[in-house]
Amino acid sequence: MEFFIFRNMTIERFFSKYKASFSGYEDISFIDPDAERYIWFYLSPIKTNNKVIAAEIRNYIDLLKLTISRIPSGKTLIIFTINDIYSINTITGDNDIKEAVKYYNSTLYELALEHNNIKVLDFENFLSRYSSTELIDWKYYFISQMALNPRLSSPFQDWFKEQINSIELKRKKCLILDLDSTLWGGILGEDGIEGIQIGGDYPGNAFLMFQQQIEELGKQGVILAVCSKNNIEDVRQAWSLNDSIVLKENHFAALKINWGNKSDNIKSLAQELNIGLDSMVFLDDNPSERELIKTVIPEVEVPDFPTQPYMLPVFFKSIAEKYFSIYNLTSEDLSKTKQYKENALRNSLKSTFTDMNDYIRSLEIELTIEEVNNITIVRAAQMTQKTNQFNLTTQRYTDTDLSEMLSEGAKIYTLSVKDKFGDSGITGLCICKLKGETVDIDSFLLSCRILGKGIEDAFMNWILKELKQLNFKTIHSKFISSAKNIQVKEFYERFGFEIISESESVKLYNLDLENKIINLSDNYNYK
Amino acid sequence: MKRKIKEIAAQVFETQVNDDTNQDNCENWDSLRHLNFIIELETEFDVSFEPEEIAAMTSLSIVESMIQQKRQ
Repeated sequence: MEFFIFRNMTIERFFSKYKASFSGYEDISFIDPDAERYIWFYLSPIKTNNKVIAAEIRNYIDLLKLTISRIPSGKTLIIFTINDIYSINTITGDNDIKEAVKYYNSTLYELALEHNNIKVLDFENFLSRYSSTELIDWKYYFISQMALNPRLSSPFQDWFKEQINSIELKRKKCLILDLDSTLWGGILGEDGIEGIQIGGDYPGNAFLMFQQQIEELGKQGVILAVCSKNNIEDVRQAWSLNDSIVLKENHFAALKINWGNKSDNIKSLAQELNIGLDSMVFLDDNPSERELIKTVIPEVEVPDFPTQPYMLPVFFKSIAEKYFSIYNLTSEDLSKTKQYKENALRNSLKSTFTDMNDYIRSLEIELTIEEVNNITIVRAAQMTQKTNQFNLTTQRYTDTDLSEMLSEGAKIYTLSVKDKFGDSGITGLCICKLKGETVDIDSFLLSCRILGKGIEDAFMNWILKELKQLNFKTIHSKFISSAKNIQVKEFYERFGFEIISESESVKLYNLDLENKIINLSDNYNYK
Repeated sequence: MKRKIKEIAAQVFETQVNDDTNQDNCENWDSLRHLNFIIELETEFDVSFEPEEIAAMTSLSIVESMIQQKRQ
């Protein structure tokens, strides 16, 4: 069950693309404990007395608070804002409903601040596309209590999917900005400090608003940085002399203002700021610079920049929503909670078995080991970037790096793990570089989510067996210590690798594969 | 038209249907799917059914004759 939905109207049709179950109308007595996520979707009640409507809306908050205290902790609750969309009794001039709606919605945001598993969806964002006559089809309201026009279900589902994506999307951390024709109109080096277009008439006013919007992003915690081809003295002079410029040196956490290659500059920004390239967004009006970054550093998000300054507000809104929306719950987090649940199930099994092997066999673990392909290469590269603990060498690669290795004849294996409780997907990687009859294991890593079941040994044995079958005679491997990988310090020793040199941080190994006997454990199914 | 109706019915009721399918012999034809079925029919054939008609449309053959009436 993906969703359990608390509701007060007939809304099933609006979630037909999801596996969802529903509460009774205004019924909070039952909470499905096994739902992955919960939704609170209450619509404004359809009544004719404004005071009654207002009181009901306020009462919904009490129902909601009680529900929050009862849903399983750590699970996400997505709450829709409420809106007065029907306005049946418009004769009176009172503000009761407006006040109640305001109270309801502001309480939602307060709750979201208190509980980080609560996400608020601004339903107005969807409703505002329609006129009030489009929002309800009274025929369907009267025959089935559908308070939203059933014909809106298809656009609703599209909208809802976007919202879910933005909730799950990891927020980017840093916005990297070009200067000329991006933050102001014109070219500083040619037009001079007063010649650039910022503030005043169009297009300067459009750039001014853009800078102000970016300043607001900065206030919300987005790191701002500059990567621009200018003379830094010119820029500093512009910052100190042109008062129309909003974004000045103190707004930026780091500056790369030089005539060097922008991809190198962005890489060094990432190092300087100590954040991943995949948490950066780069804005530049110049398509060839954008292309360069897209090609050389595909982890960096590079949105197309508008060709006309009057398009900047729409552009800003789209990047703000796409990359910097306040939710930082990642899809990984969501699947983690699922996996935690699965781990809990596994633990509950633990006591009923006589020994560890017995327990592992009962999990019906399926290991799929295959050579990397066009599709899995991205995940493979991502694993080298993200895996810290069970990682023998902690070499970080991009998918371009991996493609290059493949073209040089390397063998790259991915491991996918499944058991009777769920599919963990690709969670292991081994990179083998080949030189004649010798294999150099460049990287060997597993996600810590799958550890504790002997899978790491099975994976390594499978690799050794495969390499032996391919008639390789010797294996070279190494352990490079990092701050986090101490647990794998003795890993190769377990397989009979001999240490050929050892320093404080690096151990080099050798294995005579020709005379090695390898047995695959029958605790697992190999595919 | 008959084919289109059956196509929509099969999709909404998530099961195989035939000319004799009706609310009683089709397990998935519940009240919620009934409305979804009607909404899809209204959209597909560009007609609008009155609530009384909706309540009476309990088999595929009734549905077909009802739509034929509407389109005359």
